[in-house]
Amino acid sequence: METENNKLATWRINMKVHSILKSQGDIFETAKAFFARLFEEGIIDYLLVPQRISNGRTLTQTLIKGVDNLEGVNPFSPVMAINSAKLVAQVGSVEKDKKVGVVIRPCEIRALIELVKLGQAKLDNLVVIGIDCAGTFEIEQWAKLVEESGDAIGKETEILKDIYAGKTDYQDEDAPIRLRSSCQICDKFTHDKADITLSILGMEDDILVTLEPELADKLGLETEDEPSSHKDVLEDMQNSRNYKRESTLDEFRDKMQSMNDMADILSTCTRCYACQTACPICYCRVCFFRTETFSPESDRLLRWADKEGALRMPTEILLYHLTRLNHIAASCIGCGMCESYCARGIPLSTLFQAVGDEVQKKLEYVPGRSIDEELPVATFKKEE
Amino acid sequence: MSTQINKDDYEPKIVAFLCNWCSYKGADLAGTSRLQYPTNVRTIRTMCSGAVDPVYIIKALLDGADGVLVAGCVLGDCHYQSGNYKARRKMIILKAELHALGLDEDRVWLRWISASDGIFFKETIKEMVEALKVKGPTPMKQPWNMWKTVKGGWKPKTINSPRGE
Repeated sequence: METENNKLATWRINMKVHSILKSQGDIFETAKAFFARLFEEGIIDYLLVPQRISNGRTLTQTLIKGVDNLEGVNPFSPVMAINSAKLVAQVGSVEKDKKVGVVIRPCEIRALIELVKLGQAKLDNLVVIGIDCAGTFEIEQWAKLVEESGDAIGKETEILKDIYAGKTDYQDEDAPIRLRSSCQICDKFTHDKADITLSILGMEDDILVTLEPELADKLGLETEDEPSSHKDVLEDMQNSRNYKRESTLDEFRDKMQSMNDMADILSTCTRCYACQTACPICYCRVCFFRTETFSPESDRLLRWADKEGALRMPTEILLYHLTRLNHIAASCIGCGMCESYCARGIPLSTLFQAVGDEVQKKLEYVPGRSIDEELPVATFKKEE
Repeated sequence: MSTQINKDDYEPKIVAFLCNWCSYKGADLAGTSRLQYPTNVRTIRTMCSGAVDPVYIIKALLDGADGVLVAGCVLGDCHYQSGNYKARRKMIILKAELHALGLDEDRVWLRWISASDGIFFKETIKEMVEALKVKGPTPMKQPWNMWKTVKGGWKPKTINSPRGE
């Protein structure tokens, strides 16, 4: 690992201080003002941040230059259109003169760290602005909700307030909108390696900022203690999520008894590669499933049909998923994008996390924890 | 399916990935030394046990292999320094994956067979054939044709998508 890239790992996390950005009921304006300060102080030259488009029906990551274009940004976006680690890998560079601030979620930071280990992302010009994330919604369901209410900002404020107060209402079967399944079982909704962390967990109308003391000085922020309401919500959420994760994954693993169960789950798959496109850490530039190796020609197919009597087409659905599982499981950071992208609603995220958890426990590896740890397949222990 | 086959007649099929430098030479030695071992094994020579991508192991299992053997140099003796250590890592991941999915991870074996150890190659194959005979035919063969092969027809189990659709 190059020394420059060690940035995220060597961060002195114990040296960070807290500060509270007071707001008069409008956290979006407060966040906007904070980003403006970052631009003014020259801490960032560009900002990658979720911004409302299409009358607020959805939010998308936008690369913003300058204070004037900050209209409609919301760092705590209720939707996640893409795992931004892939976008961050595009804007990251070793040239340090153009600083890019990137507002990303904990799962996206974890994916970014895995990408750095894979040599597919550079961090040197980045200012990573992490958020504490209570979860996101499926993008099409959110658009529907906003369309029905007609008031995008009002709806965002209302629902963000609920989920960031630690309410679990949005997990129920009969809720008007449900958190994405991977968000419901996410137990790593904070990340301590970001340069700046913004949090509204248990903060009512304010925003808690966590950053290095020098940076706080530069921005003229007063140091304050971490509010107890914030700590409480964090703890409650951790407990309930841990429980939900364990029970969901255990239940899933109990159901998996044979290859037929696997075939059941994947019965509607057509190998459209959406899950692969969505996955931030599916690392090969060209997947061998897209080559002739696993997309055989006519004579081979006919020969197989001769031998088997019947051949499911397209072929190798099981092999595709089992192999992807094998390649990804150690590094699966549980963002659930595979499932959100899947047009057939195959519970891929649960599948990958159920397997990933087991594999990661075996290898004693937590993907995305730190850049210091090497990828499990790139290293070995003499004894294991 | 398994009920139709008499247990004594059942001969397991083993696909063996042998590394060029040690295990393949070991198998060769077993042959030139005229050691008798079961003929259930189909060998594939690879440059290194670390070069065996798990996709090929899974492919063999799905296509009906009853067991898969990956064999490489004794730890510390790898021709490429550390290939066999990496093979072991890949195997840990594969076995954990199969276990999590309720599949039989004991059908996949990893052994270190040196070039001078034809006897150990013979013993390994014998041992593996015996173990697989106890297990019976693989249930992991890709269900191409589930309506016919499963007794009483295939009934889809409802595994609800957590998306609630």
